[in-house]
Amino acid sequence: MNMQQAIKMTAAETALVDAYTAQIGDLPGDGAVLSLRDTLVHELKTSGLPTRRVEAWHYTDLRTLLRAVPAADPTAFAERVDPLVPGSSVLSVRNGQADIKNVPEQLTVRSYTESLLDGSAAAGLSVLGADDAIGRINGGLVRGGLEIAVAAGVEIEAPVEIQVVQSHGQAHTRFPVSFGAGAKATVIERHLSTNAEQSFVSSVSDVTLAEGADVIWIILQQQGPADTHLGQIRFDLGKDAKLHLFVINAGGKLVRQELHGRATGEGADLTLRGINLLGGESHTDLTFTLSHDVPHTTSSEIIRNVVFDRAKGVFQGKILVAQDAQKTDAKMSCNTLLLSDDADFSAKPELEIFADDVQCGHGATVIDIDHTQLFYLLARGIPENKARAMLVNAFVAEIVEELEDDEDLVESLESVISAWLEKHA
Amino acid sequence: MPAVQETIDQVRQIDVDQYKYGFETTIEMDKAPKGLSEDIIRLISSKKNEPEWMLEWRLQAYSRWQTMEEPSWARVRYPKIDFNDLHYYAAPKSTSGPKSLDEVDPELLRVYEKLGIPLKEQEILAGVEKSRIAVDAVFDSVSVVTTFKEELKKAGVIFMSISEAMREHPDLVRKYLGTVVPQSDNFYATLNSAVFTDGSFVYVPKGVRCPMELSTYFRINEKNTGQFERTLIIADEGAYVSYLEGCTAPQRDENQLHAAVVELIALDDAEIKYSTVQNWYPGDKQGKGGIYNFVTKRGDCRGKNSKISWTQVETGSAITWKYPSCILRGDGSRGEFYSIAVSNGHQQIDSGTKMIHLGKNTSSRIISKGIAAGVSENTYRGQVSAHRKAENARNFTQCDSLLIGDRCGAHTVPYIEAKNSTAQFEHEATTSKISEDQLFYCLQRGIPEEAAIALIVNGFVKEVIQELPMEFAVEAQKLIGISLEGSVG
Repeated sequence: MNMQQAIKMTAAETALVDAYTAQIGDLPGDGAVLSLRDTLVHELKTSGLPTRRVEAWHYTDLRTLLRAVPAADPTAFAERVDPLVPGSSVLSVRNGQADIKNVPEQLTVRSYTESLLDGSAAAGLSVLGADDAIGRINGGLVRGGLEIAVAAGVEIEAPVEIQVVQSHGQAHTRFPVSFGAGAKATVIERHLSTNAEQSFVSSVSDVTLAEGADVIWIILQQQGPADTHLGQIRFDLGKDAKLHLFVINAGGKLVRQELHGRATGEGADLTLRGINLLGGESHTDLTFTLSHDVPHTTSSEIIRNVVFDRAKGVFQGKILVAQDAQKTDAKMSCNTLLLSDDADFSAKPELEIFADDVQCGHGATVIDIDHTQLFYLLARGIPENKARAMLVNAFVAEIVEELEDDEDLVESLESVISAWLEKHA
Repeated sequence: MPAVQETIDQVRQIDVDQYKYGFETTIEMDKAPKGLSEDIIRLISSKKNEPEWMLEWRLQAYSRWQTMEEPSWARVRYPKIDFNDLHYYAAPKSTSGPKSLDEVDPELLRVYEKLGIPLKEQEILAGVEKSRIAVDAVFDSVSVVTTFKEELKKAGVIFMSISEAMREHPDLVRKYLGTVVPQSDNFYATLNSAVFTDGSFVYVPKGVRCPMELSTYFRINEKNTGQFERTLIIADEGAYVSYLEGCTAPQRDENQLHAAVVELIALDDAEIKYSTVQNWYPGDKQGKGGIYNFVTKRGDCRGKNSKISWTQVETGSAITWKYPSCILRGDGSRGEFYSIAVSNGHQQIDSGTKMIHLGKNTSSRIISKGIAAGVSENTYRGQVSAHRKAENARNFTQCDSLLIGDRCGAHTVPYIEAKNSTAQFEHEATTSKISEDQLFYCLQRGIPEEAAIALIVNGFVKEVIQELPMEFAVEAQKLIGISLEGSVG
């Protein structure tokens, strides 16, 4: 093993290691889980948080950006909030504590703490690779979450909202979710804070889709203006499985949302749509990797970013096509509206291709508002600020409308976007 | 879509075992002992009768280099290089420096004849249909001859080897050397700063349009040598110059290192066009031998409305690590990068460009085509950035690659960084998107789809090749007459 030179730990690194030390004996887990936690925290201690020298963190130097980590507060209390879409069934984790009352019949749900205690969580607790800082922090410190299963053939009409509410302090949650063959559901993974106090949240969702499952998964991140959010979703798409992944970032001070997936069954299809609404002094990073492992899989990714004020935005997208994965069709695009001279946006759309009979492409643009469109509206007597707002709204709302099958959902998401834009524009 | 037979055949024609320039010449050489130390640097400097400041500059770079680590971020794999197992200086004994053509060892002249490089002025003059090119021929560590010097002098253009320039125009060299690629820029550039042996120097004075194409031809001949050349081109206000670079090496089992630095400086309204046909020995079918081509090339559009354009056709080298870049400093300056990179056999290419927009109203254009065959790896790595003050920066990037066979890899790693709201960047890596209109136009007129695609793509490759000066375009077309019909990122 590489002997790491001892590094001087930053305040945030120290706080994370201290948080672990303080909880030894109290963190849930059997022998295997506990020893895995030890290894993860030891790695964090020796190699520190990633810097820009680590390619996967090139634009998000976590070591510099993460200044402080608030201490966990076991007495913290957060209220359950109304679901985004009226009529959804809500499963909540508030300040790290799972609430599994009112579970809809079609779901099998249990507290992830139990899986840690009986050791069944051990296998999924490992990191994705040496650069997986989120997996490391979360794996070391996770206390709770929900383990959800949707049985084969089950179709759930109303959306299921996984509500992760934080008032302050820190919380580390995990959500292993499996969809049986042919299962159909809409899940809203919603992260929010109840106040402006500082909080630090890490959350990992581990989603598997069996043959023919058809899932809409929405990640709506609305943390407070002082919050750090480290999110990760891992997904595995079986034969003919269809995942429509929708990510909206509309909050937080330091945000890194990672999406790592594999298409492991022929006919698997991923649709990724991302909206990053960035304002204030925030730093938001959306990092995506998809590995097409087998032939005949498809994916399409569209990311739209709107950047105001002094915000910084990052999109890293990587599509890998394995040697066997002939006939892959993958298209990725990232469009950014940069609306302030103090804002910046960096994009790194990568392709790594080893099969010759594929169609892969990516496009990336960074633009200002289209002046001809603006002129069109001004010529019709619409004041400039209103015209601009309309164009910005249209730029992002366009992709929400793709979810047309569920009108309530579209309406709810549109109102989140409009409310955010009204506040920032 | 898979590659059509025509493309496959054409790529096979330029496969690694078809290398035509692999011959070796026995010429008595004057070599420095193997290894790298301050003494070797002093030896190189004294062999070249360099001024004292140059030696100090080299030594400074050397001490810096010793603290640096070899970069590992590129997508290339090779065994560790033993930098002490190389000769850092090798020169034909008969020529201590560039002389008149009559004094050059006839054996050397035969080498260039075999390579098809015109060194005799009268011959070139006699050929009516050929346009004239001034050539600086670099053989291992030294420049053996520079043609048309007198005629260029009349126009005020300085074209000579860099060692000669250091003696004859020390002020110019001192003023510009290392201002684009600083001494400590990166591992290989720093090594080059310490040990560079020769290269070309061009200065085009104010308002002068260089009357002919300038060209440098690099040849590595000696065993176990590294070639470290340094090229410095300055186009003063309103000047124009077009410069070509070519390179070959003998076929050998061991790998050889080539670590060059090229610096271009364009002042107000000046334009530099730099073209390369890189055809170093790529190694054999089993991946044995070949040149490691670790090159730092950078142009600085220092003046207002200046323009630098890079065109490259990369077919050789076992490993290529090369990112010709433009720093768009002057307001209204323009950078261009046109590239066709073909990898075959066990070749590995990690190449691309950087367009750094600093001034207002700057624009850049990147067109890159990568073709991977055999078990090669072909990576495009490029950066486009607009700084806070780069108002109205514009970039258009297109990079496409084609895979032939399922054992090779093609990768695209673009970095796009915008810090100004008026910046407009467009990056794309799909052929279908750009050609849909054209395709529709062709289909409308009854041209079958496949023929239409071939037509459009061929037209496009021609567009890149057209960026090359005529003399090189012919060579490049011979190297790649490839249709890029089904492209992936």
